[in-house]
Amino acid sequence: MTTAQDVQLKPMGVNWIGLGTIVRREVSRIMRVPIQAFIAPWISALLFIFIFGFVLGGRIKEIGGHRYLEFVLPGILMMNIINAAFLQSTSAIYFQRFLRFIEETLVAPLSYVEMIVGMLVCVVIRSVITALGILVIGACFGVIAVDNIFEFLFWVVAVSIIFGELGIIIGLWAKNFEQLNILNVFFIVPLSMVGGVFSTIDMMPPYLRFLYYGNPFFYWINGLRHAMIGFHEGPPLVGIAMTVGLVVLLSAATLRLYATGYGLRE
Amino acid sequence: MTPALKISHLRKVYRSGTVAVEDLSMSIAEGDFFGFLGPNGAGKSTTIHCVTGIATITSGTVEIFGIDAVKNYREARRLIGLSPQEFNVDQFATPRQIVDWMGGYFGMSAAQRKSRTDMLIERFDLVEHQKKAFRELSGGLKRRVILARALVHDPKLLILDEPTAGVDVELRRDLWRYLQELNGDGKTILLTSHYLEEVERLCRTITIVAKGRIVRSGPKADFMSGGLENAYLSATGAEPDHIAGAAA
Repeated sequence: MTTAQDVQLKPMGVNWIGLGTIVRREVSRIMRVPIQAFIAPWISALLFIFIFGFVLGGRIKEIGGHRYLEFVLPGILMMNIINAAFLQSTSAIYFQRFLRFIEETLVAPLSYVEMIVGMLVCVVIRSVITALGILVIGACFGVIAVDNIFEFLFWVVAVSIIFGELGIIIGLWAKNFEQLNILNVFFIVPLSMVGGVFSTIDMMPPYLRFLYYGNPFFYWINGLRHAMIGFHEGPPLVGIAMTVGLVVLLSAATLRLYATGYGLRE
Repeated sequence: MTPALKISHLRKVYRSGTVAVEDLSMSIAEGDFFGFLGPNGAGKSTTIHCVTGIATITSGTVEIFGIDAVKNYREARRLIGLSPQEFNVDQFATPRQIVDWMGGYFGMSAAQRKSRTDMLIERFDLVEHQKKAFRELSGGLKRRVILARALVHDPKLLILDEPTAGVDVELRRDLWRYLQELNGDGKTILLTSHYLEEVERLCRTITIVAKGRIVRSGPKADFMSGGLENAYLSATGAEPDHIAGAAA
């Protein structure tokens, strides 16, 4: 059997076991707080679906040939994916910094890319589980709609990565728990509410339509809605290009912060 | 022979502007048991943090068995095991998880981790505590977990930053025996401690730092003529006993 000493003599490639260990550790942490991680967003989604889709939705005419419940479900799903991704990475990074066990990975032979990818894999796992739960809730209300599974997965994974990376950046920057919520309170919640979750562009007065077209959340909700029910209001390629661009930009920024030790090293 | 640790002109300035380490150079031979002493705030932990990657280096170089600790940080870190002064662990994880995860970060397979973790859990008498949350353990048990974690990947250079702080006499003596065994098997050990008896008993080479600089260094025998405590007090600028006594 190979000894630990032999491991040290092997040339370094990708540290897959190390990367997998970051994922195992974070999944273990998520499973310690299942109510916070999964039950809370599912209950929140259930209430949104029930009130806006089921109770009020019956009084609203069809949109693009779809029931109102079918129209709002992708938006509710996207709001929860964004929330799950952001909370996962901010809490993971800040918790590690606060208790200083981030030092465990800093002293280990892990590259910065492995550390970041490990965190983002957990972000995607949490987002996908959250999304699956909401799809099941939607199915309970008679909405079973994923038109294009690849497009659906693209939006879930890409948006999770964007907010996972934003969460890492905020988690590295924050000096206290209060600062962790700044992006959520002033950016994520307001923009998602005016990003077309509950209404179409036509329902907005013309002078307020910039809130949709100038809002990245609109393109994500629009993209997911297209993947789920085939309905869209904006140019899909603009949303895809913006999303890929943000993934590249935020990946570079996150990597840069890790490489310089910002928020990580003394 | 390549030294286990070679530090050249290390300087560390914190963002606040505090100069923690200034032009520090030292070398530890492979297989040595090296005592790194100094008063609180002298720069011992900062030096260790620069060596292990917890702190960035302002200037100077650090080599672990000839490998540059900044340029080839992954290769260098595989050779080091660190037991820090503070309990930097996930307080809600169990001792078994903490040790196993560290093995994982170092790329050990599941079978290797299980074998090493089982051995260390038993060696440090943690069997009945292995499934409790870390935060539920006593100070002495926490210290044992931190030591087991540092040893899981069988590092060639073991760095112990005040490993016996807050532990009872029995564990301290048991730990001394174990460290002597490890050193006897060829492991290089760097030890910081405020217990001079511990350093006197274990170390073969001693370096004393004060205000971020090395103030005295050499084989233990060089420090023993007037007693290690007096040598330490004299080197760090405090009054040794006989001088204080004469003045009185």
